Amino acid sequence: MSSIELDHVSKLYANGAYGVRDVDLSIGEGEFVIFLGPSGCGKSTTLRMIAGLESITSGDLRIAGRSVNNVPPRDRNIAVVFQSYALYPHMSVRENMGFGLKMRGVARPLIDEKIREAAGLLGLTPYLDRKPAALSGGQRQRVALGRAIVRDPVAFLLDEPLSNLDAQLRAEMRLELVKLHRRLGRTIVHVTHDQVEAMTMGDRICIMRDGRMIQVGRPLDVYADPVDTFVARFLATPPMNLLPARLEARGDALMVVGDGFAVEVPERHRAAYAPVAGREVIFGLRPEDLHEAPQPGYAPIEASVVAMEALGVENILVGQIGTGAGTGKPQEISARLSRHFTAPVGARVPLYLDPRPMHLFDTETTRAFPRPSLRLGQN
Amino acid sequence: MRRIGLHLGLLFACAVILVPLLWVIRTSLLPEHLSYSPELMPAVTLDNYVALFTSTRYGQSYLNSLIVAFGSVVVALPFAAMTGYAFARFKTSGRAGRFAVLATQMLPPVAIVLPAFALLRTVGLTNSLTGLIIVYAAVNLPFLIWILMGFFEGIPVDLEWAAQTDGATAWGAFWRIVLPVSLPGIAAAGVLGFILTWNEFLFALVLSGPQTATVPVALAALQTSNGVQIAKVSAGVVLAVLPLVIASRFIQRFIVQGLTFGSVK
Repeated sequence: MSSIELDHVSKLYANGAYGVRDVDLSIGEGEFVIFLGPSGCGKSTTLRMIAGLESITSGDLRIAGRSVNNVPPRDRNIAVVFQSYALYPHMSVRENMGFGLKMRGVARPLIDEKIREAAGLLGLTPYLDRKPAALSGGQRQRVALGRAIVRDPVAFLLDEPLSNLDAQLRAEMRLELVKLHRRLGRTIVHVTHDQVEAMTMGDRICIMRDGRMIQVGRPLDVYADPVDTFVARFLATPPMNLLPARLEARGDALMVVGDGFAVEVPERHRAAYAPVAGREVIFGLRPEDLHEAPQPGYAPIEASVVAMEALGVENILVGQIGTGAGTGKPQEISARLSRHFTAPVGARVPLYLDPRPMHLFDTETTRAFPRPSLRLGQN
Repeated sequence: MRRIGLHLGLLFACAVILVPLLWVIRTSLLPEHLSYSPELMPAVTLDNYVALFTSTRYGQSYLNSLIVAFGSVVVALPFAAMTGYAFARFKTSGRAGRFAVLATQMLPPVAIVLPAFALLRTVGLTNSLTGLIIVYAAVNLPFLIWILMGFFEGIPVDLEWAAQTDGATAWGAFWRIVLPVSLPGIAAAGVLGFILTWNEFLFALVLSGPQTATVPVALAALQTSNGVQIAKVSAGVVLAVLPLVIASRFIQRFIVQGLTFGSVK
């Protein structure tokens, strides 16, 4: 049993500010959970509370069913990999990795064996006698992981461990971590502000903002059904297009009408959105749901090109639609188009939006109006 | 032209610093009767050095200074390390506490020396090396605390957190991780403490006796009613400066080293 349960856990600082507010989460044994959020949202604080490095102001934290609010970090049997790696600079790689076992009074031969095992797993065998200063960033990162692995903890807590690596190494280590999780089968809590890590690595994403956990779910579920405009924008690059609009009932049909576009609500969402008819809303559509070619059911709009970003595999069009009536300036949108699509800056191009994955958000609360879920690949 | 001017300026600056030192070395190598001679190097002799050790208590004072300087550092460093660490890591007593520690440094030494004398007399430690060691350790403590506090603040707290999750207690993390990592800083603080004690005159003058005089007091004693024995004083000064030269070499090496590189990023 290595489940971690946060039961209405809060962290209140002496100055009266909340670091973490009323977080309620149950992490199953062997689960890979991602805490995602912008800087200062409380994700690292939550992680440190689980590790025992930060005190809990209120609520209950249970590891393997046992309340650990007042248990010191050394007795929680949890390993933390820090963003800075926090390798002991005066010790060799071998001593760094063996430190935790030595502290627990494990016999020397067993420590050596564990170190050998972990070093082999992480490709660190040739570097065991080096000091951290003589290692590259990627190697240090592996040592930090190795130090966690040898201890055979009930859970791994990773605090942005990939953020100091270059892009290529980061992609490699992402994969390595996923493989490692599969091999070790341990609970992993991974803190990051990188959406790609969040989408690709975890079983579940927990999105945090201002100390609160605002959405928890499987990555594709969260992507498909964000609870509010913050999640909608945060989870992808380029973020979801959010356009002010009005939901109008026209006979049997519901129309989302905004500056430069008018979209009919698909039948499957009609019942859910009917109560909102007549209200101002925020219309949300992901850039990949804008297309350069028409299809039945797509709604045409016209955009003037502000920038084209050619990424090789695809082209991102940043454009403006509408006249700026009501808001004072035209709305900016981005569209993820085929790599064959090009247009000069300033040109007006027709685009076609697929209304099926659309979202409507409350203008005041920014919360999504509930509608039947539409997981990707299910339409 | 500018380069020549620059070099002349630098040469002048070097001369301002070096000439007095070189003059002291020169005087220490001259016979007493030639010590005020205007000539550069009329004769060379080691008599002053020999006389210093044979006809005065300079040798004893030198040993006293070494014992007192080492002793005070050994006594003060553990306290300074622990207090400095507490100030660096915990909110203990806030800013006020940190500055209160410096309060004794803000008083003129003469205001402390008399109470110190009274205290030592009560416990019977005047005219003893132990008394001097205790007083110097106490007087230098605030300074050492501040140096080490700065050093500990520079050590990433992640290192201690890692040690604590690895199974160490707070004390274990300090002892096994923080202390070894901060050795260069502790060494630098130790050397600075040594230099401070080595050079101190007022406390030594008031608290020591003939048997326990330190180098500065012994040098002052060479000003007799027959005048200043300048050649012997010079020889004494040359010997007194030696440990400081060695110490400053050490301190340079330790401060530049910076062991923490490699643990973070």
